[in-house]
Amino acid sequence: MEYFAGKYDVIVIGAGHAGCEAALAAARMGCETLLLTQNIDKIANMPCNPSIGGPAKGHLVREIDALGGQMAIVADETSLQVRTLNTGKGPAVRALRVQSDKRQYHYRMLKELFKQPRLTLIEALVEKLKVDNYRITGVVTRNGARFEAKSVVLTSGTYLRGRIIIGEAIYEGGPGGEATSSALSNNLKELGLDLGRFKTGTSPRIQKNTVDFSKFIIQPGDSEPKRFSFLPTESIFWGNDPSKQLPCWLGYTTKETHDVIRNNLHRAPLFTGVVEGIGPRYCPSIEDKVVRFAQREAHQIFLEPEGINSEELYLAGISTSLPEEIQYMFLKTIPGLEKAKILRPGYAIEYDIVKPYQLSLTLEVRSLPGLFTAGQLNGTSGYEEAAAQGLYAGINAALKVKETPAFVLKRSDGYLGVMIDDLVNKDIKEPYRLLTSRAEYRLLLRQDNADLRLTEMGRKIGLVDDNRWRIFNDKLKKLEEIKKIWYNTVFSVKDTIVQRILKELGSSTLRSSIRAEELLKRPEFTVRHLQELIPEINNYEREILEEAAIQIKYKGYIDKQQEEVEKFIKLEEQELPADLDYDKIRGLSNEAKQRLKDVNPQNVGQASRISGVNPADISVLLIYLEQRKRGMADARSESND
Amino acid sequence: MEDTIVALATPPGEGAIHIIRLSGKNAFNIGKACFEPKNKNKWQADTSYTLHYGWFLDGTKKIDQVLVARMRGPQSYTGEDVLEIHCHGGMLVARRIIEACLHQGARLAEAGEFSKRAFLNGKIDLVQAEAIVDLITARTSLAADLALNQLTGSLSTKIDDVRQDILDILSYIEATIDFPEDEVDDLAQTELSERLIKAKEKAVEILKGSKTGKIIREGLLTVIAGRPNVGKSSLLNAFLEEERAIVSEIPGTTRDEIHEYIKVGEVLLHLIDTAGIRDSSDPIEKIGVERAWKALNKADVILLLLDVNEYNAKRFSKEEQIIMEEYAEKTIVLINKIDLMSSYELNDSYIPKDIFVLPFSVKTRFGFEELKKEILRRVYEGNHAISAEPLLSNIRQINALENCINNLEKAQEAVYANIPFDLVSIDVRAALEEISLITGHNVQEDLLNNIFSRFCIGK
Repeated sequence: MEYFAGKYDVIVIGAGHAGCEAALAAARMGCETLLLTQNIDKIANMPCNPSIGGPAKGHLVREIDALGGQMAIVADETSLQVRTLNTGKGPAVRALRVQSDKRQYHYRMLKELFKQPRLTLIEALVEKLKVDNYRITGVVTRNGARFEAKSVVLTSGTYLRGRIIIGEAIYEGGPGGEATSSALSNNLKELGLDLGRFKTGTSPRIQKNTVDFSKFIIQPGDSEPKRFSFLPTESIFWGNDPSKQLPCWLGYTTKETHDVIRNNLHRAPLFTGVVEGIGPRYCPSIEDKVVRFAQREAHQIFLEPEGINSEELYLAGISTSLPEEIQYMFLKTIPGLEKAKILRPGYAIEYDIVKPYQLSLTLEVRSLPGLFTAGQLNGTSGYEEAAAQGLYAGINAALKVKETPAFVLKRSDGYLGVMIDDLVNKDIKEPYRLLTSRAEYRLLLRQDNADLRLTEMGRKIGLVDDNRWRIFNDKLKKLEEIKKIWYNTVFSVKDTIVQRILKELGSSTLRSSIRAEELLKRPEFTVRHLQELIPEINNYEREILEEAAIQIKYKGYIDKQQEEVEKFIKLEEQELPADLDYDKIRGLSNEAKQRLKDVNPQNVGQASRISGVNPADISVLLIYLEQRKRGMADARSESND
Repeated sequence: MEDTIVALATPPGEGAIHIIRLSGKNAFNIGKACFEPKNKNKWQADTSYTLHYGWFLDGTKKIDQVLVARMRGPQSYTGEDVLEIHCHGGMLVARRIIEACLHQGARLAEAGEFSKRAFLNGKIDLVQAEAIVDLITARTSLAADLALNQLTGSLSTKIDDVRQDILDILSYIEATIDFPEDEVDDLAQTELSERLIKAKEKAVEILKGSKTGKIIREGLLTVIAGRPNVGKSSLLNAFLEEERAIVSEIPGTTRDEIHEYIKVGEVLLHLIDTAGIRDSSDPIEKIGVERAWKALNKADVILLLLDVNEYNAKRFSKEEQIIMEEYAEKTIVLINKIDLMSSYELNDSYIPKDIFVLPFSVKTRFGFEELKKEILRRVYEGNHAISAEPLLSNIRQINALENCINNLEKAQEAVYANIPFDLVSIDVRAALEEISLITGHNVQEDLLNNIFSRFCIGK
């Protein structure tokens, strides 16, 4: 019953945030690409919060954009509200977060897929991977269609052996009631992959017109909203009128809420042992919060609009898998939600993951060349983490087809590099969420400079089109011009405006003339003050001015981290031969041997970050490599004799 | 070239000389900062394979007269720029030279690290590779055992306490950054500053204790001072008779300065009997007096002997007054020959209040027990138990703690200068990483665990 249905360069399984980016990237890089999804109506679906971005996640979205990905553009276009978080906490951690219209997000992404040459979209459930001699050759669908390809990107999200849990009710299923696949999960196991099981949860959705908003605090969007994309984009809802953004709402649970939950813990799957999967600590359910932080009398709830025309509100902050009736009971105790009607209950979901230590730094499964995995399947959580991996895996799947060198981002290149490196080298024990505190070179990996870090790389691999490239080069030129102006502008002691501003700021006044650049290095002195003093710079976009200012203002710190990076890169550049037999290396600890065999690192730097490998092991490894090198040289000279 | 490492190249312990090796890209720069050559022209000629004589300094403080051998990479043992510093053979001197290099940015070498570099740079042949691996693995496990043994009991509690403080501060900063809309109350700048100061003070306290550890190993430098014939030599002899002498007549000392090592309780006293201090025009005596002042300068404790008759008459020499003014903190005044008096009561208003004064008789040993008690109290100050409490004594640990304190200071200055949180966190994290070197904890893992256990996070 299996039939040959077509031959492609790259096949992408799953059309969530990872799958869409993977397919678009491969097609844009010139590969004939097939995107298979089990439900076209759920493409780029957001089964959890209707929001994109925030610290580290927003950084990722900017990086996706800088490389020529899609998420930033669609998020900008479908944004209902924009906020920059962490504005007062420093240049590296400012983070954009938008509320998106879920339906429009889906439509916009779908439109992009249809527009894309070389991309074919088919609704089909994949049940089996075709493998020939440990190399992937294609996939087979439930209906018996066999598609062939050199590279396959698997982005099946939480659908592998998905299990929904709501109180005592437990059933097979993916998010939003979709069918799940145990066949594919079993197939992966047969192919020798080590699978793990994770759990995550989501909150109830309620009907908007049953909420008493007077009891909530309004959370409006920014008055000067920024954008994710480095390209000019515009919200289809509020265009360039920020006052038309939709608000969110903030409310609180009460003591009564917590009492209801506490009295029903015996029915909470989280505590009765029903849940096997490991859940994320950074996204605890409300029952977990009530138990672990018993002293708190109230927890925050954010009401977030699911869409401009949607009657649905997402209740962020109270993810739960308590029985439906308990969900009703505790909602009634929340001021403003006394009469709220639940449209969809909250639930927990368990699913299989591919333990990511089995991947190489290109997201290719090491034991099955040609197979790449990305997104929640790799044990991450979040749309942004998924999309970024999808893009990365799509790029590498395409490069593999073209037989050109792989695309690997280092920890110093971007959050994407940090995430991939963590996934492969760290023992991932809970759903992985990117955090800014995971980045050791955080100051270098800012939102504002994502394009400076990555766009050139995107251009090289063929993802950055002429338009983006022109905009990028224009920015580079302007940055240089601005910095030149700031260097050449000198304020004298007699400049009364400067002295007035400094006095107002409580900054020491000038006693000798000073360059604009030097003034900017004072903590209290900002670009706005320079704009007042040097009117000609007002011709430049504010974003570019800010970028130039950050580079100057924090130069000392930035240079210091740059030095660290140079040290770090040295070890990254020292490659490890693929055929290294770690068992034969004398002096390695047993644990190090095991972990090195598990991960099979590509370079010494990567080896040094594997949990369980200590600095002495690295010294031993370096000596072994040198021994090997000299041994080979000896062998060569002997054979020459 | 790699970063610059330093370590003792000769076996630890007492010997005629010690050699300290410094290797890496900044070895020569560190040499420039720490070495004051006798022959400046020769030193500045920047030649390789040359030997230089001069003073080794820590900042402006002179440590020892040394010979420095300079070898430019790749023609050196490690293949990098190397300085070898030949100093006098006490461990104290060697340690201080190593510390001076650390203060200039060198790092302590790991076990076998010089040999490793030599091998990787092609300086050692293949046959020896195995031996280097043995060195690395053996010494590492030994060092790990040592670290564990040393960090027991109350010291470990104290270090953990400081580390937890720093971890909490960093968790706070990181939680507000990574979860800006969650239920983490923003930390006010003043509170952050206060917590940084508190953590720093605790760390400084431990460091003080670790200096005590050094005293325990290398001896408390105790200088006996006073006018000629006030009873200095008798006091020294009294110590030798009463207590256990460890070493007598250290070679290399001169007639007018006598060194003795004795043990009081668990504490090693390095006693120096100086030449009598007085204004003199005799050139030979002048040298002795000069040397005595130097000893007083270096001393951990000064035992100033005064004659009871002179004392009661309030007749203090200029030199005695200088000692009591300049070195009040470390001076113990012994009013000797009290046995000649009918009463042991003294009018103590003649001497600054902060100086410890003891009626004393070398002859009858009156006050001797009390003197020993006072010396021990000073040694253990800050570490209340006189029992042999484990101390932070390993130079590696002390270095880490010093770096931790420096980073806390930087962080606090940054907070004070209104530098944003994400930059402050760089210094706080560095402090945490340093102190974690002592305890062997993983910073990243602990940070996330701490954030999730302290703060209710997650939308």
